[in-house]
Amino acid sequence: MSAPIYQIDGANLSTEQLSAIAHGAGVTLAAGVRERMSASAQWLSDHTGPDPFDQKWHWLAGHEAPATASEGVRAFLRSHCAGVGPPLSRIEIRALMTARINTLAAGYSAIRPQVIDRYLYLLNHDYLPTVPSQGSLGAAGCPQLSHIAWAAFGFGGTLDDASGNPVDLRELADLAPIALTPKEALALVNGPALAIARGVLAVERAKTLLRTAESAASLSFECVQADLNCLNDAALRTRHHPGAVQVAATMRAHLEGSTLCHTGRAPDPFSIRCTPAVLGAAQDALDYIATTMHRELNGATANPLILPSAGLFETGNLHGAPTAMALDHLKVALAQVASISERRAFRMTYGQLSGLPSFLVRSSGINSGLMLAQYTAASLVSECKSLAFPASVDSLPTAQHREDHVSMASIAAETCLRITEAVADVLAIELMCAAQGCDLRMSGDFNDHGTLGTGTQQTLARVRAVVPKWTEDRVLHPDLAALGKAVRDGQFV
Amino acid sequence: MGTSIALNGETLTFASLVAVARDSQPVHLDDDARERMTRTYEWVGRAARGELLNPRGESVPIYGINTGFGSLARLRIPEEQASKLSWNLMMSHAAGVGDLVPEEVVRAMMLLRANALAKGVSGCRPSLVETLAGMLNAGVTPEVPEQGSCGSSGDLAPLAHLALVLFQGPDDEDVTHSGWASFAGDRLPGAIAMERAGLQRLIPGPKDGLAITNGAQLTTALAALAAWDASELVVLAEIAAAMSWEAIKGVTRALDPRIQALRPYRGAQDCAANLRTLLNGSRIVDSIHAKVQDAYAIRCTPQIMGASRDGMRFAAQQIAIELNAATDNPLILADEAGLNKAYSAGMFHGEPVGMAADHLKVAICEVGALSERRIFRLTTGNLSSRLPPLLRDPEQPDFGMMVPHATAASLVSANRALAWPSSVDSIPTCEDQEDIVAMSTTAARHARRAVANATQIVCIELISAFTALTHRLDEHSIEDLGTGTKAAYRAIADVMEGAGETPSEAIEAVRDLVTSGAFTRAVESQSGPLLRPVEIA
Repeated sequence: MSAPIYQIDGANLSTEQLSAIAHGAGVTLAAGVRERMSASAQWLSDHTGPDPFDQKWHWLAGHEAPATASEGVRAFLRSHCAGVGPPLSRIEIRALMTARINTLAAGYSAIRPQVIDRYLYLLNHDYLPTVPSQGSLGAAGCPQLSHIAWAAFGFGGTLDDASGNPVDLRELADLAPIALTPKEALALVNGPALAIARGVLAVERAKTLLRTAESAASLSFECVQADLNCLNDAALRTRHHPGAVQVAATMRAHLEGSTLCHTGRAPDPFSIRCTPAVLGAAQDALDYIATTMHRELNGATANPLILPSAGLFETGNLHGAPTAMALDHLKVALAQVASISERRAFRMTYGQLSGLPSFLVRSSGINSGLMLAQYTAASLVSECKSLAFPASVDSLPTAQHREDHVSMASIAAETCLRITEAVADVLAIELMCAAQGCDLRMSGDFNDHGTLGTGTQQTLARVRAVVPKWTEDRVLHPDLAALGKAVRDGQFV
Repeated sequence: MGTSIALNGETLTFASLVAVARDSQPVHLDDDARERMTRTYEWVGRAARGELLNPRGESVPIYGINTGFGSLARLRIPEEQASKLSWNLMMSHAAGVGDLVPEEVVRAMMLLRANALAKGVSGCRPSLVETLAGMLNAGVTPEVPEQGSCGSSGDLAPLAHLALVLFQGPDDEDVTHSGWASFAGDRLPGAIAMERAGLQRLIPGPKDGLAITNGAQLTTALAALAAWDASELVVLAEIAAAMSWEAIKGVTRALDPRIQALRPYRGAQDCAANLRTLLNGSRIVDSIHAKVQDAYAIRCTPQIMGASRDGMRFAAQQIAIELNAATDNPLILADEAGLNKAYSAGMFHGEPVGMAADHLKVAICEVGALSERRIFRLTTGNLSSRLPPLLRDPEQPDFGMMVPHATAASLVSANRALAWPSSVDSIPTCEDQEDIVAMSTTAARHARRAVANATQIVCIELISAFTALTHRLDEHSIEDLGTGTKAAYRAIADVMEGAGETPSEAIEAVRDLVTSGAFTRAVESQSGPLLRPVEIA
């Protein structure tokens, strides 16, 4: 099976497609893109006003740009290769390169299509540079983009194939040398692209996590024999939040046909009853954030912009504030998804609250059952809370006060990705507890000869395909690792 | 590799912890400690065999020895199941997730657990400490996932991952139950790593499960290494500050010891003393006669860095107590007269180390933030006493230190986010038996990340100040530099010679130099010893 190939047009790249390309799908330019890019490059070379690169150089460095273009390009890129810290993953590098290609494909940056062909070639062959992950302020010059350009155009650095073998650009016969123009170097480096790329990956993971949270909560509903009135459509619609209505509808579908759950028996505690409110608020947030990130992904975030019909514009499109604030809010939303999930795991492992054996294991005492799974969830939730501290409220003046307010979007994106990892493990723990609780409930010892709903049956079966029932203590870690992987792979969506 | 360190639960120092964790210094169980351990172990054996009878002739319940764990302490466990009870605890508590703890931290954690048990109040066998020592000496390092501990009842999950390698279940030959470990460069199932190292895994006795898992040793290992590195970082940041002071032609009256003594914080006085030592003999500072004082990032360095020093010293004092603390539950006081010599208490709770680690993060964050402001001054034309804007080389087309400065600013912001305290949070666990937990492990992990970030910032300041001083040397002889800053200048010059073309490569080269300790040693060889916030002993 060959991987799909997506067309890039600078306007319609979806967050799903970016994620797919990051994970290995191919890329090509859509029809008309080359012409548009060439037109903007031509406009600049015909342009009689001051050269934007010279202006930029003078503005930032306070002196003239180097006399020759090649000298200027090299100096500019070298100066911006200032990233530090652990390297980005290959998935992140692919996302970053693709996001930049898409921005440039819109044709507002006076960059020739053959420049972008180099990135397409590297992506489609999976030859990638090493890129340090830290150092971006989410505004103006992005060091990570510079590291990519530095290696991609043969200035320095290294490229590796997927197996980690070094690739020498000079030995690739099908690659013609390219001399970047100064404006092209600017366009390749300018903008909050790292935060956008990582943010889009976070959004795609968040979608999987929210759907998984509905599956897990539904199975927990079965385990605690929840009162389903809290999912009532008419009741939820009185508050007008679309997310809560949607979450409840999904959960009702999961629970269709359940005889373990009841209706109108008694109100449940908040971690059960308020699930639509909390997951719904997260869903509403995610909808807004996904919209923002889609716009950012398809927006012209480099500077300056060339509008061939109207001229050249120095603008602030390079500032990552929209991404930074959106991702900070995504961190909060995901931390809440994990927080309420952990409370359900706590209830299910708590004998006096669940009516099931303590820690969901028979002969507890000699066995500790799933005691520690809940500890792990609590620890992860606490870490999510601390990582949810907003990055976008911070700023530091840089570049001699010329870049005197920055977005810190890159910090928001990095912590947001960390939170997605923790939330996946918390949801895996809830699934494990809920599955164990349902198996105990239906074992015949609790006078609950009920059946699961149509969706929750499938969820239970998928859990059991990964981890067996807990009959006596065993090593817990492999179960958590396997279920965590299944959650990340989208098996509970 | 030095002489073997004797573990007795009383005398472990930061320096020996670092030597074992990083430099493979060998360890062994102290003879007196072995005797103490044997005595409490014998008592635990009697308790487990049901030989401790109350006046009604019933065997006394002792937590974790003949009862279940946590909220399951209400349940009695028969003697013949004591070993299985411990083994089940180890297996079911191995609940970590996420990336792996670095090997040096795992080694520090093993050492700390061995030292706590050597105190002789846990009631486990001397061979447990001896086996841990054997693993450390042979280089068997268990794999421990870094997330999942609340730090209360200690670092249960991380220590249980260690226990899977160290112990073997009764009638459990399954190597897949033995976790993973690294040995001689290979990643192996724990049982195989132990076999290759010639070490015998132990069949758990009564109390062994609790003894190996009850204590915040991962928290303390992380925090101790972070505090140690932070202490070295402060000295490094003061060397960088002295170079910047000189580069900016700062006014050293702000460092006068008589002034510092009037607001006598130890940290500020030590910082000012180090700066005076480093700048001793400089003919570049105080050379602008009209300048009466500098901006805060220069002038207030003793006050800001001093507060960080004081914070670090507090954190280190707390950690130093924990290095030699009993953290188990229950503790066995063998010399007590009563029938029940087991005392259930809350010694395992990670809060003292967690709060210290949170404060450590704040202290580290400010070291980096202060350094970044000095880089900003050095690179900003109108603030730098006429250094070239961005510190660019007039002969070379480039942006000088503009982008590395932006990198430093980004790292400051990352550290501000990490500085959010973990110890203020708690989530009830274990059926409300463990209803307020420390979250200390997260605090300590984040402290280590903060040190790594701040180290990068200070490296960028070192390069910036070096570049600035190079410009000053247009008008000055190198002999005009201070005794300390001159050595620092030369050491950075040496490494910049061979560094690659990009700022990224230069920062990495300088970071390698400073984290090896060679840079500070080179400076101290000329300036004389510099004061550190965390004492070595």
